[in-house]
Amino acid sequence: MARDLTVGQFLPGHAIMHRLDPRTKILLTFFFIIQVFLAKSTVSLCFLIILLFLFIFFARLSAGKVFRAVRPMIPVIVFTALINIFYVPGDSVLHFAFLHITKQGLFTGFTLFVRLTVLIVGCSLITYTTSLNALAAGLEQLLSPLAHLRVPVSELSMTLTITLRFLPSLSDEFEQIVDAQKSRGAFFDQGSPIRRIKSYFPVLIPLFMSAFRRAFELANAIECRCYHGGKGRTKMNTLHFAGRDIAAFLVFTALFFLTIIFNFI
Amino acid sequence: MAIIELKHVHYAYGVGTSFEKQALNNISFSVDPGDFLAIVGHTGSGKSTLIRHLNGLLRPDSGQVFIHGKDLWSQMKDRRSVRFQIGLVFQYPETQLFEDTVGKDIAFGPKNMGLNEQEVKQRVQEALAFVGLDASYLERNPFRLSGGEMRRVAIAGVLAMRPSVLVLDEPTAGLDFDGRALILQQLEQFRIKSGAAIILVTHNMDDIAEHAQRVIVLHEGRMVLSGTTASVFSEADILKQCGLDVPQITRVLIKLKERGLPVRTDAITLEAAEREILKLFREGG
Repeated sequence: MARDLTVGQFLPGHAIMHRLDPRTKILLTFFFIIQVFLAKSTVSLCFLIILLFLFIFFARLSAGKVFRAVRPMIPVIVFTALINIFYVPGDSVLHFAFLHITKQGLFTGFTLFVRLTVLIVGCSLITYTTSLNALAAGLEQLLSPLAHLRVPVSELSMTLTITLRFLPSLSDEFEQIVDAQKSRGAFFDQGSPIRRIKSYFPVLIPLFMSAFRRAFELANAIECRCYHGGKGRTKMNTLHFAGRDIAAFLVFTALFFLTIIFNFI
Repeated sequence: MAIIELKHVHYAYGVGTSFEKQALNNISFSVDPGDFLAIVGHTGSGKSTLIRHLNGLLRPDSGQVFIHGKDLWSQMKDRRSVRFQIGLVFQYPETQLFEDTVGKDIAFGPKNMGLNEQEVKQRVQEALAFVGLDASYLERNPFRLSGGEMRRVAIAGVLAMRPSVLVLDEPTAGLDFDGRALILQQLEQFRIKSGAAIILVTHNMDDIAEHAQRVIVLHEGRMVLSGTTASVFSEADILKQCGLDVPQITRVLIKLKERGLPVRTDAITLEAAEREILKLFREGG
């Protein structure tokens, strides 16, 4: 079991962000992404940062923890921002040999840094506050109109649900096999790259064997219960939009237009 | 001197999240050469977490683990070498086989110890003999063996390191009665011949009644009972509270006593119970 908070780990709770319908959260996350890329001025970027802290507050998460979980992504974000500093043409501020730093470049770099951080943190909030099963159910309902276009939505969602169901089992099994091989003196992450890859064979081979075994067993079990495609299947827990979902949509629409208005200030 | 000694070991999962769980709470015990110790407890009692502390896979949040009198986490530089002395066999060990022949798979541990080829070969044969398989198995594909045979090959993979303590997590799970008896009997032989200590983790009381000298009962991360096998089994009420049971044969004696017959209920093996019941007939007749 992982002992630290990682990106995407669901943390059960009863905050307003937890209680929203997963469909609402998925759609609003999309809204938020578009909003982030529409924000152009300093004012609207600052507005986004304030919003982000408000969201974290409404999810009853600790801001420090949420940002700490994004830490591994920081090199990528900084690298992207730096590239832009050097490549945007405009009024030169500093130049050294072939490198030119321009005012516009600095601004673009800063903008990108804020946007990417806000984007990643914002998107991680949905996974902190929504269980994977709720997400899968929400996604299935949102995509269900596509069934008219002969997209096998229910089969896809069944596959997704099974995958999500077995990820924790596989990850537990992975840890157990690593522990077992370590107990026989195996060591990982030492020596040349080829040696390192080879050192994982004693873990990967049993893991694949077990994944296949599980798949066969599951296929048999599903067939024994007469599953034949998802057509006409009903749900035990159906999703319902509540008043708070409508409120959330209204608030987000208002915030969306505010961001655009702030672009002109 | 004790081979393993645990002093006030605490360990928690998911610290700082809503999943936080105290898995081990103030665990202390020691294991001497030649011991046959059983650790029993219901699912989720902390058994599997506990055995991961014995060979340094997990580090206690507080408390110490001593191996041959040295603190594992502060006085030992080469923690990997501990894993050759404290052999750990996990639950369903047959799922960890990976080589294409039985011989190569058993040799994985000894090879990691850096032994020469001659020595490795000798240990593989010796380990295979301990689990009751002959040399014809060496070249066979482990994935084509029966479940029981695969389990024995996997156990041999740990025996081949000649550990001074052998720790087994539910080694008889999923086996039939004969398979259980065979594995336990082979383990007992290994213990007597090699002088190694055995720690058996299980929730099956019948498994340990015959062989274990001492029993530790875990419940929700705490040591609830600890003592000789007979003394632990005499606490039927506490065991029941922990979701455990006494051996079937002890249950028979307890029922007899409840009916007012003068039997002793501390008999835990089949032979002892037989004597107890025969005595009843002699006295009665």
